[in-house]
Amino acid sequence: MAEADWGGVLVFEEHGAKLYNAIELDEVKNAPKREWLMNKAMEISQDAQVCILPQEKSSTGVFIPILSSGNERLGAVCLLRPPRALQAHERRLMEALASHAALALENFRRFSQLERSKKNWVEDIDAITDYIVVHDKRWTILRTNRSLANHLGVPPVALVGEAVGTLRQLAETQGALPCPFCMDMEQAREEHIVTARERTFLVSTSRTLSAADEDARTIHVLKDITDRREAERRYRELFDSIQEGLFFATPDGRFLDVNDAMVRMLGYESRDELLRNDVGAYLYPVPEARERILHELHAKGVLRNYEETLRRKDGTLLYTLQNITGVRDAGGRIAQMRGLMLDVTEQKMFQTQLQRERDFNQKILNTTQSMILVLDTAGLISYANRRCYEAGYREEEMIGRHLVELVDGAQRKEFEAALETTAHGQQVENLEARAKRGDGTLGYFSISLSPMRDEQSTVNSVVVVMTDITDAALLQAKLAHAERMATIGRLVSGVAHEVNNPLAAILGFTDLLIENPEMPASAQEPLGIILQETQRTKYIVQDLLSFARQRPVQKEAVQVGAILRQTIKLRSYDFTSHGVEVVEEFEEDLPATIGDSQQLQQVFLNIINNAYDAIQESGRRGMIRLRTKRVADSIEVSITDNGTGISDAARIFDPFFTTKPTGKGTGLGLSICYGIVRAHSGEIQCWNNEEGDGSTFLVRLPAATESAAAAMEAAG
Amino acid sequence: MSSAAMRRPLPILLIEDEPSVTAFLRAALERQGYTVVQANSGADGLERLKNGSFGGVISDVRMPGAVNGAEIHAWIHANRPALKSRLILISGDTANSDTQALLANSGAPCIEKPFRVQQLISVAEKTFGKP
Repeated sequence: MAEADWGGVLVFEEHGAKLYNAIELDEVKNAPKREWLMNKAMEISQDAQVCILPQEKSSTGVFIPILSSGNERLGAVCLLRPPRALQAHERRLMEALASHAALALENFRRFSQLERSKKNWVEDIDAITDYIVVHDKRWTILRTNRSLANHLGVPPVALVGEAVGTLRQLAETQGALPCPFCMDMEQAREEHIVTARERTFLVSTSRTLSAADEDARTIHVLKDITDRREAERRYRELFDSIQEGLFFATPDGRFLDVNDAMVRMLGYESRDELLRNDVGAYLYPVPEARERILHELHAKGVLRNYEETLRRKDGTLLYTLQNITGVRDAGGRIAQMRGLMLDVTEQKMFQTQLQRERDFNQKILNTTQSMILVLDTAGLISYANRRCYEAGYREEEMIGRHLVELVDGAQRKEFEAALETTAHGQQVENLEARAKRGDGTLGYFSISLSPMRDEQSTVNSVVVVMTDITDAALLQAKLAHAERMATIGRLVSGVAHEVNNPLAAILGFTDLLIENPEMPASAQEPLGIILQETQRTKYIVQDLLSFARQRPVQKEAVQVGAILRQTIKLRSYDFTSHGVEVVEEFEEDLPATIGDSQQLQQVFLNIINNAYDAIQESGRRGMIRLRTKRVADSIEVSITDNGTGISDAARIFDPFFTTKPTGKGTGLGLSICYGIVRAHSGEIQCWNNEEGDGSTFLVRLPAATESAAAAMEAAG
Repeated sequence: MSSAAMRRPLPILLIEDEPSVTAFLRAALERQGYTVVQANSGADGLERLKNGSFGGVISDVRMPGAVNGAEIHAWIHANRPALKSRLILISGDTANSDTQALLANSGAPCIEKPFRVQQLISVAEKTFGKP
């Protein structure tokens, strides 16, 4: 090719659109614009191309592609010259040129790529926050990364060539080798932990073994695991020190890890012993329990406050309260159980003990013959033991009601005062009060009140123990009455004797004076009055004596009904003339009683007289009801009137007790009745009628056995 | 006079510690025609019983001192059988159990104080006969 033919050769690089000049375009006559040439170079494909240059029709550009070994287009070679056909040899020359260019371009690319990669690698290594140090077998540092240099406060290059022993400050452990991080040079890989200045590092070591001995290098990567270690340490400390048992277990019951508390709870020697043995099956006394746990865990994922009884190593039972979380695998099955376990055996025992004690107390409360109640400070009943209900009280008249409502009106003030005393912390013992019994009648109770205190020792309730002493109280009253009567009897006897002597003289001389014909007529009237009043005094004393007289009872079999009929006959005139109705309700075939018909008649007459007087006083249309009936071994005679009633039932049988106007009664009638009935081994009682007006007297006499009655008849 | 004196009945011994009662009894009995010898205590009465003869005895039951109605009764029973049926007891206190026992035991009539003159005379005439 002639020099003149070659307007210039240009090489274009494909992607960079770079122009490599063989000649300066400026030196080419009528050279096309650089941009045009470059665009044209891009257009050509695999084949050479000839094209007319735009400015100069006399010039053409011949383009040959530059292809890589992989047939990739790298650029183009361009020949600028006057228009002429491309000769074969010219073409070969250009293709050779393109082939050379391709080679050169490929090499260039590879080198620059290598260079870039090397640079990136260093940057990457430097970006790693872990410390990296590489040394050779002569313990000389070949390189460190920037993190390590920064940590030591020196530029990275400063360490290169230094002995690796200078890094000993990063590892306090004094190894046998000059490198503080190397443990065993024979190992291709090593991993261990070193500490220095309160920092902990995980040292991962790698060694290049394949290369020639000279090039053998050791790479240490130091990872600062101080924080992680601390977290781990705290976790472990917590794990081991807490009193609750912690465990990780497989679903089939094998423990993966447990803490000391757990070991202790289950009674094993050590953690290892517990982990070593597959205790799953042993742990559950009831095998189904484990199935149930798994089932629930599968359904809910967690179990909260789950109560389970486990078996300790020694076979004793352990009551636990557990919180378990299930960890699922990818398939959603429970892969692990993590749980926290509380030993509630003591609580359970305590609870059992408490329950037992409670049952015991309940039993006492329920079987005692005393009524036990608890009142709040306002006096409202908050508890009543079973005895209360057995005694006939209904729940609605107890719970939530004031206890004082049961107490007899006259004694409420006294009871409330006692309650007040107790509310101030003092015990009140044996308060005797009349109160409503379960059957509605009034009874006598011995009441004890005890304060019950809360934790602050404030009285917050009152325990009331009520014992029905009605029977005892009645007995005591009877005894007291009998004793009183005996005393009075002795007194009356003495008084009667003393009075009767002077009375005998007065009465006797008055008689003699009246009969004396020498007495003036004017003396007759006063003497008559003396006689009359003396007689009256005599009768009073006689009454007294008949009360006190211990005259033996005539023993004969008598029919109470017959005596009653005779008694009524004595007063029938008065009854009919004053419109008093007498109702007889006599039980048929009433047994006889052994006694003195005269005395018994005196008793009934006395009661009937009182009834008549009470009716007269009330001004009502009167009715006296006489009733006889057999009750067990007794005959009961009740005499009921609708008069004014009794003003003081407790004293009515006392001698000289009378409510009648002066001169109308001595107050001895009922005392005498009392004495007579007692002499018959009987009883006499009285009370005001609950329904309606008036009162009732009850005379109870022992019924004679048939043989006794027959014997009496025979003797009579 | 002597025959009249012979026919004169024996006196009645009245044993009573209460002077007012004694006075009344004496007045009533003497008015009726009886002769009365009085003793002011049980002991005095017993003494007179031993030393004299009487047509009858009226004795109080309760008297102070060692001798009371029961003792008088017992002595008569033992020593003067003729007087057994001629004893009248008087008492102001028949409620007393000792009195009751004596009355039941002796079978002697008893007049309870206070009593009317008629009661006394009727019992006396029945027991001692008319004076």
